[in-house]
Amino acid sequence: MTPFSNEMTAILVVIVIGFLPNEIWRVLGVLLGRGLDENSAWMQWVRAVATALLAAVVARLLLIPSGALVALPFLLRAGAVGAGVAGFLLVRRSVLAGVLTAEAVLIAGAWWLGVVN
Amino acid sequence: MQPSDPAAAEAGPAFRAGYFLRGVAGAFSVPGVVLMATFVGFGGLLHDVGFPIGAGLLSTLLIWALPAQVILVGGIASGAALPAIAIAVCLSGVRLMPMVVALMPLMRGRRPSLWLELIAAHFVAVTMWVEGFRLLPKVRQEGRPSYAIGLGAGLTAASMIATGAGFYLTSLLPGPLAVALLLLTPISFTILLVRNARERVDWLAIGFGAALSPLVANTPGGLDLFWSGVGGGTLAFFIARIWKADRA
Repeated sequence: MTPFSNEMTAILVVIVIGFLPNEIWRVLGVLLGRGLDENSAWMQWVRAVATALLAAVVARLLLIPSGALVALPFLLRAGAVGAGVAGFLLVRRSVLAGVLTAEAVLIAGAWWLGVVN
Repeated sequence: MQPSDPAAAEAGPAFRAGYFLRGVAGAFSVPGVVLMATFVGFGGLLHDVGFPIGAGLLSTLLIWALPAQVILVGGIASGAALPAIAIAVCLSGVRLMPMVVALMPLMRGRRPSLWLELIAAHFVAVTMWVEGFRLLPKVRQEGRPSYAIGLGAGLTAASMIATGAGFYLTSLLPGPLAVALLLLTPISFTILLVRNARERVDWLAIGFGAALSPLVANTPGGLDLFWSGVGGGTLAFFIARIWKADRA
Protein backbone atom coordinates (compact mmCIF):
# COMPACT_ATOMS: atom_id res chain seq x y z
CA MET A 1 0.00 0.00 0.00
CA THR A 2 2.46 2.61 1.21
CA PRO A 3 5.26 3.32 -1.25
CA PHE A 4 7.36 4.74 1.57
CA SER A 5 7.13 3.18 4.97
CA ASN A 6 10.37 4.97 5.75
CA GLU A 7 9.97 8.73 6.17
CA MET A 8 13.71 9.36 5.68
CA THR A 9 13.66 7.71 2.24
CA ALA A 10 10.72 9.89 1.24
CA ILE A 11 12.51 13.04 2.46
CA LEU A 12 15.60 12.09 0.45
CA VAL A 13 13.44 11.53 -2.64
CA VAL A 14 11.76 14.92 -2.18
CA ILE A 15 15.16 16.63 -2.07
CA VAL A 16 16.97 14.73 -4.84
CA ILE A 17 14.10 13.93 -7.25
CA GLY A 18 11.92 16.98 -6.49
CA PHE A 19 13.78 19.96 -5.05
CA LEU A 20 17.04 19.89 -7.04
CA PRO A 21 15.70 19.39 -10.61
CA ASN A 22 13.04 22.06 -9.95
CA GLU A 23 15.12 24.66 -8.11
CA ILE A 24 17.83 24.74 -10.78
CA TRP A 25 15.54 26.83 -13.00
CA ARG A 26 15.05 29.49 -10.34
CA VAL A 27 18.83 29.68 -9.73
CA LEU A 28 19.44 29.90 -13.48
CA GLY A 29 16.81 32.65 -13.70
CA VAL A 30 18.73 34.71 -11.13
CA LEU A 31 22.15 34.02 -12.68
CA LEU A 32 21.23 34.43 -16.34
CA GLY A 33 18.93 37.32 -15.59
CA ARG A 34 18.59 39.77 -18.38
CA GLY A 35 20.80 37.92 -20.82
CA LEU A 36 17.89 35.66 -21.74
CA ASP A 37 15.74 36.20 -24.81
CA GLU A 38 12.26 35.09 -23.80
CA ASN A 39 11.13 34.96 -27.43
CA SER A 40 13.86 32.74 -28.82
CA ALA A 41 12.72 29.55 -30.55
CA TRP A 42 14.40 27.50 -27.82
CA MET A 43 12.40 29.20 -25.05
CA GLN A 44 9.18 28.84 -27.07
CA TRP A 45 9.76 25.09 -27.37
CA VAL A 46 10.55 24.84 -23.66
CA ARG A 47 7.32 26.66 -22.77
CA ALA A 48 5.28 24.43 -25.11
CA VAL A 49 6.73 21.32 -23.45
CA ALA A 50 6.01 22.69 -19.96
CA THR A 51 2.40 23.47 -20.98
CA ALA A 52 1.84 20.03 -22.54
CA LEU A 53 3.31 18.40 -19.45
CA LEU A 54 0.90 20.22 -17.16
CA ALA A 55 -2.05 19.29 -19.41
CA ALA A 56 -0.89 15.66 -19.30
CA VAL A 57 -0.77 15.79 -15.51
CA VAL A 58 -4.40 17.01 -15.42
CA ALA A 59 -5.51 14.38 -17.94
CA ARG A 60 -3.89 11.63 -15.90
CA LEU A 61 -5.47 12.86 -12.67
CA LEU A 62 -8.88 12.70 -14.37
CA LEU A 63 -8.37 9.46 -16.31
CA ILE A 64 -6.63 7.44 -13.62
CA PRO A 65 -7.87 9.08 -10.41
CA SER A 66 -7.08 7.98 -6.91
CA GLY A 67 -9.13 7.57 -3.76
CA ALA A 68 -12.70 8.80 -3.55
CA LEU A 69 -12.72 10.14 -7.14
CA VAL A 70 -12.62 6.57 -8.49
CA ALA A 71 -16.26 6.13 -7.51
CA LEU A 72 -17.37 8.86 -9.94
CA PRO A 73 -17.84 8.27 -13.69
CA PHE A 74 -15.19 9.80 -15.94
CA LEU A 75 -17.78 12.02 -17.65
CA LEU A 76 -18.68 13.65 -14.32
CA ARG A 77 -15.01 14.26 -13.45
CA ALA A 78 -14.28 15.76 -16.87
CA GLY A 79 -17.63 17.62 -16.95
CA ALA A 80 -16.90 19.28 -13.62
CA VAL A 81 -13.53 20.51 -14.90
CA GLY A 82 -15.20 21.75 -18.11
CA ALA A 83 -17.83 23.59 -16.07
CA GLY A 84 -15.05 25.13 -13.98
CA VAL A 85 -13.34 26.50 -17.08
CA ALA A 86 -16.68 27.93 -18.25
CA GLY A 87 -17.23 29.52 -14.84
CA PHE A 88 -13.73 31.02 -14.95
CA LEU A 89 -14.27 32.50 -18.42
CA LEU A 90 -17.79 33.80 -17.72
CA VAL A 91 -17.20 35.36 -14.29
CA ARG A 92 -14.50 37.98 -15.02
CA ARG A 93 -11.75 35.34 -15.33
CA SER A 94 -11.98 34.71 -11.60
CA VAL A 95 -10.08 31.62 -10.45
CA LEU A 96 -12.28 31.38 -7.36
CA ALA A 97 -15.47 31.39 -9.46
CA GLY A 98 -14.06 28.64 -11.69
CA VAL A 99 -13.05 26.42 -8.77
CA LEU A 100 -16.43 26.88 -7.04
CA THR A 101 -18.38 26.11 -10.24
CA ALA A 102 -16.43 22.91 -10.80
CA GLU A 103 -16.92 21.80 -7.20
CA ALA A 104 -20.65 22.58 -7.32
CA VAL A 105 -21.11 20.51 -10.49
CA LEU A 106 -19.08 17.62 -9.07
CA ILE A 107 -20.90 17.50 -5.73
CA ALA A 108 -24.34 17.94 -7.33
CA GLY A 109 -23.54 15.21 -9.86
CA ALA A 110 -22.23 12.82 -7.22
CA TRP A 111 -25.28 13.43 -5.05
CA TRP A 112 -27.70 13.03 -8.00
CA LEU A 113 -26.07 9.77 -9.07
CA GLY A 114 -26.07 8.66 -5.47
CA VAL A 115 -22.43 7.56 -5.80
CA VAL A 116 -21.17 9.09 -2.58
CA ASN A 117 -23.02 9.75 0.62
CA MET B 1 12.68 32.40 7.02
CA GLN B 2 13.14 34.59 10.11
CA PRO B 3 15.15 37.84 10.04
CA SER B 4 17.79 35.98 12.07
CA ASP B 5 18.33 33.63 9.12
CA PRO B 6 22.13 33.44 8.53
CA ALA B 7 21.88 34.19 4.82
CA ALA B 8 19.79 37.27 5.51
CA ALA B 9 22.00 38.42 8.42
CA GLU B 10 25.07 38.30 6.20
CA ALA B 11 23.41 40.72 3.84
CA GLY B 12 23.06 43.18 6.72
CA PRO B 13 21.00 46.27 6.05
CA ALA B 14 19.85 44.87 2.70
CA PHE B 15 17.33 42.88 4.75
CA ARG B 16 14.71 44.88 6.64
CA ALA B 17 12.42 43.19 9.15
CA GLY B 18 9.69 45.83 8.83
CA TYR B 19 9.30 45.25 5.12
CA PHE B 20 9.50 41.48 5.68
CA LEU B 21 6.52 41.62 8.07
CA ARG B 22 4.53 43.79 5.67
CA GLY B 23 5.24 41.16 3.01
CA VAL B 24 3.96 38.39 5.29
CA ALA B 25 0.75 40.42 5.81
CA GLY B 26 0.46 40.80 2.02
CA ALA B 27 0.15 37.00 1.71
CA PHE B 28 -3.36 37.13 3.18
CA SER B 29 -5.41 37.93 0.11
CA VAL B 30 -7.85 36.20 -2.26
CA PRO B 31 -5.09 34.58 -4.36
CA GLY B 32 -3.51 33.42 -1.09
CA VAL B 33 -6.77 31.75 -0.06
CA VAL B 34 -7.16 30.05 -3.45
CA LEU B 35 -3.58 28.82 -3.14
CA MET B 36 -4.30 27.42 0.32
CA ALA B 37 -7.35 25.60 -1.05
CA THR B 38 -5.26 23.89 -3.74
CA PHE B 39 -2.70 22.82 -1.13
CA VAL B 40 -5.53 21.36 0.96
CA GLY B 41 -6.20 19.29 -2.17
CA PHE B 42 -2.53 18.31 -2.36
CA GLY B 43 -2.66 17.22 1.29
CA GLY B 44 -5.64 15.03 0.39
CA LEU B 45 -3.65 13.52 -2.49
CA LEU B 46 -0.73 12.76 -0.13
CA HIS B 47 -3.05 10.93 2.23
CA ASP B 48 -4.67 9.09 -0.67
CA VAL B 49 -1.48 7.63 -2.10
CA GLY B 50 0.09 6.98 1.31
CA PHE B 51 2.91 9.51 1.04
CA PRO B 52 4.42 10.41 4.45
CA ILE B 53 3.18 13.81 5.67
CA GLY B 54 6.62 15.03 6.84
CA ALA B 55 8.11 14.57 3.38
CA GLY B 56 4.94 16.05 1.87
CA LEU B 57 5.28 19.22 3.97
CA LEU B 58 8.95 19.41 3.02
CA SER B 59 7.97 19.24 -0.66
CA THR B 60 5.72 22.29 -0.19
CA LEU B 61 8.59 24.19 1.48
CA LEU B 62 11.41 23.14 -0.86
CA ILE B 63 9.79 22.44 -4.23
CA TRP B 64 7.11 25.11 -3.86
CA ALA B 65 5.55 24.36 -7.24
CA LEU B 66 2.39 22.28 -7.14
CA PRO B 67 2.72 20.71 -10.63
CA ALA B 68 6.18 19.39 -9.75
CA GLN B 69 4.91 18.15 -6.39
CA VAL B 70 1.98 16.32 -8.00
CA ILE B 71 4.27 14.81 -10.64
CA LEU B 72 6.61 13.61 -7.89
CA VAL B 73 3.96 12.18 -5.57
CA GLY B 74 1.75 10.82 -8.37
CA GLY B 75 4.72 9.32 -10.18
CA ILE B 76 5.94 7.52 -7.08
CA ALA B 77 2.42 6.25 -6.38
CA SER B 78 2.13 4.83 -9.92
CA GLY B 79 5.50 3.09 -9.56
CA ALA B 80 7.39 5.17 -12.11
CA ALA B 81 11.18 4.97 -12.24
CA LEU B 82 12.86 7.68 -10.16
CA PRO B 83 15.06 9.06 -12.99
CA ALA B 84 11.94 9.41 -15.18
CA ILE B 85 10.20 11.33 -12.39
CA ALA B 86 13.24 13.60 -11.97
CA ILE B 87 13.18 14.39 -15.71
CA ALA B 88 9.43 15.14 -15.63
CA VAL B 89 9.88 17.38 -12.55
CA CYS B 90 12.77 19.15 -14.26
CA LEU B 91 10.71 19.77 -17.41
CA SER B 92 7.74 21.06 -15.44
CA GLY B 93 10.02 23.53 -13.64
CA VAL B 94 11.28 25.17 -16.81
CA ARG B 95 8.43 27.69 -16.75
CA LEU B 96 9.84 29.04 -13.48
CA MET B 97 12.94 30.48 -15.17
CA PRO B 98 11.21 33.09 -17.35
CA MET B 99 9.01 33.97 -14.35
CA VAL B 100 12.10 34.61 -12.19
CA VAL B 101 13.76 36.60 -14.97
CA ALA B 102 10.68 38.79 -15.40
CA LEU B 103 9.95 39.33 -11.69
CA MET B 104 13.58 39.80 -10.55
CA PRO B 105 13.85 43.51 -11.44
CA LEU B 106 10.96 44.17 -9.02
CA MET B 107 12.56 42.09 -6.24
CA ARG B 108 16.01 43.73 -6.34
CA GLY B 109 16.96 46.35 -3.76
CA ARG B 110 19.29 49.30 -4.19
CA ARG B 111 22.39 47.26 -3.41
CA PRO B 112 22.55 43.86 -5.10
CA SER B 113 22.68 40.83 -2.81
CA LEU B 114 22.94 37.44 -4.49
CA TRP B 115 21.74 35.59 -1.38
CA LEU B 116 18.60 37.67 -1.01
CA GLU B 117 17.93 37.31 -4.74
CA LEU B 118 18.27 33.51 -4.57
CA ILE B 119 15.94 33.33 -1.55
CA ALA B 120 13.41 35.65 -3.18
CA ALA B 121 13.64 33.64 -6.43
CA HIS B 122 12.93 30.42 -4.53
CA PHE B 123 9.44 31.72 -3.71
CA VAL B 124 8.62 32.47 -7.34
CA ALA B 125 5.69 30.35 -8.52
CA VAL B 126 2.40 31.28 -10.17
CA THR B 127 0.78 33.02 -7.17
CA MET B 128 3.98 34.87 -6.22
CA TRP B 129 4.34 35.98 -9.82
CA VAL B 130 0.82 37.39 -10.00
CA GLU B 131 0.91 38.97 -6.52
CA GLY B 132 4.48 40.25 -6.96
CA PHE B 133 3.51 42.26 -10.01
CA ARG B 134 0.49 43.62 -8.14
CA LEU B 135 2.14 44.47 -4.80
CA LEU B 136 5.88 45.10 -5.32
CA PRO B 137 5.62 48.29 -7.41
CA LYS B 138 3.95 49.96 -4.37
CA VAL B 139 6.92 49.11 -2.11
CA ARG B 140 9.97 51.42 -1.83
CA GLN B 141 12.92 49.95 -3.69
CA GLU B 142 15.21 49.44 -0.68
CA GLY B 143 12.51 47.31 0.98
CA ARG B 144 11.57 45.18 -2.01
CA PRO B 145 13.84 42.14 -1.42
CA SER B 146 12.63 41.90 2.22
CA TYR B 147 9.00 42.44 1.20
CA ALA B 148 9.22 39.78 -1.55
CA ILE B 149 10.78 37.26 0.86
CA GLY B 150 8.10 38.06 3.48
CA LEU B 151 5.34 37.60 0.92
CA GLY B 152 6.84 34.29 -0.23
CA ALA B 153 7.40 33.07 3.33
CA GLY B 154 3.80 33.98 4.26
CA LEU B 155 2.38 32.14 1.24
CA THR B 156 4.60 29.12 1.91
CA ALA B 157 3.70 28.95 5.63
CA ALA B 158 -0.03 29.19 4.82
CA SER B 159 0.35 26.48 2.16
CA MET B 160 2.18 24.16 4.55
CA ILE B 161 -0.63 24.55 7.10
CA ALA B 162 -3.11 23.83 4.29
CA THR B 163 -1.13 20.74 3.19
CA GLY B 164 -1.26 19.36 6.72
CA ALA B 165 -4.96 20.21 7.07
CA GLY B 166 -5.78 18.44 3.79
CA PHE B 167 -3.81 15.37 4.84
CA TYR B 168 -5.65 14.96 8.13
CA LEU B 169 -9.09 16.19 6.97
CA THR B 170 -9.54 13.88 4.00
CA SER B 171 -10.22 10.82 6.15
CA LEU B 172 -12.64 12.74 8.40
CA LEU B 173 -14.67 14.44 5.68
CA PRO B 174 -17.98 12.99 4.44
CA GLY B 175 -17.90 11.50 0.90
CA PRO B 176 -18.90 14.48 -1.24
CA LEU B 177 -16.44 16.82 0.47
CA ALA B 178 -13.57 14.33 0.23
CA VAL B 179 -14.28 14.08 -3.50
CA ALA B 180 -14.39 17.89 -3.77
CA LEU B 181 -10.98 18.06 -2.08
CA LEU B 182 -9.42 15.72 -4.64
CA LEU B 183 -10.85 17.71 -7.56
CA LEU B 184 -9.07 20.89 -6.40
CA THR B 185 -5.73 19.97 -7.98
CA PRO B 186 -6.96 19.14 -11.52
CA ILE B 187 -9.40 22.08 -11.64
CA SER B 188 -6.90 24.68 -10.45
CA PHE B 189 -4.27 23.39 -12.91
CA THR B 190 -6.79 23.50 -15.75
CA ILE B 191 -7.81 27.09 -14.97
CA LEU B 192 -4.14 28.04 -14.68
CA LEU B 193 -3.50 26.58 -18.14
CA VAL B 194 -6.45 28.41 -19.68
CA ARG B 195 -5.48 31.66 -17.96
CA ASN B 196 -1.89 31.52 -19.22
CA ALA B 197 -2.77 30.42 -22.77
CA ARG B 198 -2.34 33.37 -25.13
CA GLU B 199 -1.09 32.09 -28.45
CA ARG B 200 -2.10 29.20 -30.67
CA VAL B 201 0.94 27.19 -29.62
CA ASP B 202 -0.33 27.24 -26.00
CA TRP B 203 -3.74 25.79 -26.94
CA LEU B 204 -2.10 23.17 -29.18
CA ALA B 205 0.22 22.17 -26.33
CA ILE B 206 -2.74 21.83 -23.93
CA GLY B 207 -4.65 19.72 -26.48
CA PHE B 208 -1.76 17.42 -27.45
CA GLY B 209 -0.55 17.01 -23.88
CA ALA B 210 -4.01 15.95 -22.70
CA ALA B 211 -4.78 13.80 -25.77
CA LEU B 212 -1.46 11.94 -25.72
CA SER B 213 -1.77 11.18 -22.02
CA PRO B 214 -4.18 8.21 -22.32
CA LEU B 215 -2.33 6.87 -25.38
CA VAL B 216 0.98 6.59 -23.55
CA ALA B 217 -0.50 5.74 -20.14
CA ASN B 218 1.12 2.30 -19.96
CA THR B 219 4.51 3.16 -21.41
CA PRO B 220 7.14 0.90 -19.86
CA GLY B 221 9.45 2.55 -17.35
CA GLY B 222 6.82 5.02 -16.18
CA LEU B 223 7.81 7.52 -18.86
CA ASP B 224 4.23 8.43 -19.82
CA LEU B 225 4.46 12.03 -18.56
CA PHE B 226 7.76 12.43 -20.35
CA TRP B 227 6.27 11.29 -23.68
CA SER B 228 3.07 13.29 -23.48
CA GLY B 229 4.98 16.39 -22.31
CA VAL B 230 7.92 16.32 -24.70
CA GLY B 231 5.94 14.72 -27.55
CA GLY B 232 2.88 16.94 -27.20
CA GLY B 233 4.91 20.10 -26.64
CA THR B 234 7.22 19.46 -29.59
CA LEU B 235 4.26 18.66 -31.85
CA ALA B 236 2.50 21.88 -30.77
CA PHE B 237 5.69 23.89 -31.29
CA PHE B 238 6.24 22.67 -34.87
CA ILE B 239 2.60 22.86 -35.94
CA ALA B 240 2.38 26.45 -34.66
CA ARG B 241 5.58 27.30 -36.58
CA ILE B 242 4.34 25.75 -39.84
CA TRP B 243 1.02 27.53 -39.37
CA LYS B 244 2.78 30.86 -38.91
CA ALA B 245 5.06 30.23 -41.91
CA ASP B 246 2.02 29.49 -44.10
CA ARG B 247 0.38 32.73 -43.07
CA ALA B 248 3.47 34.85 -43.64
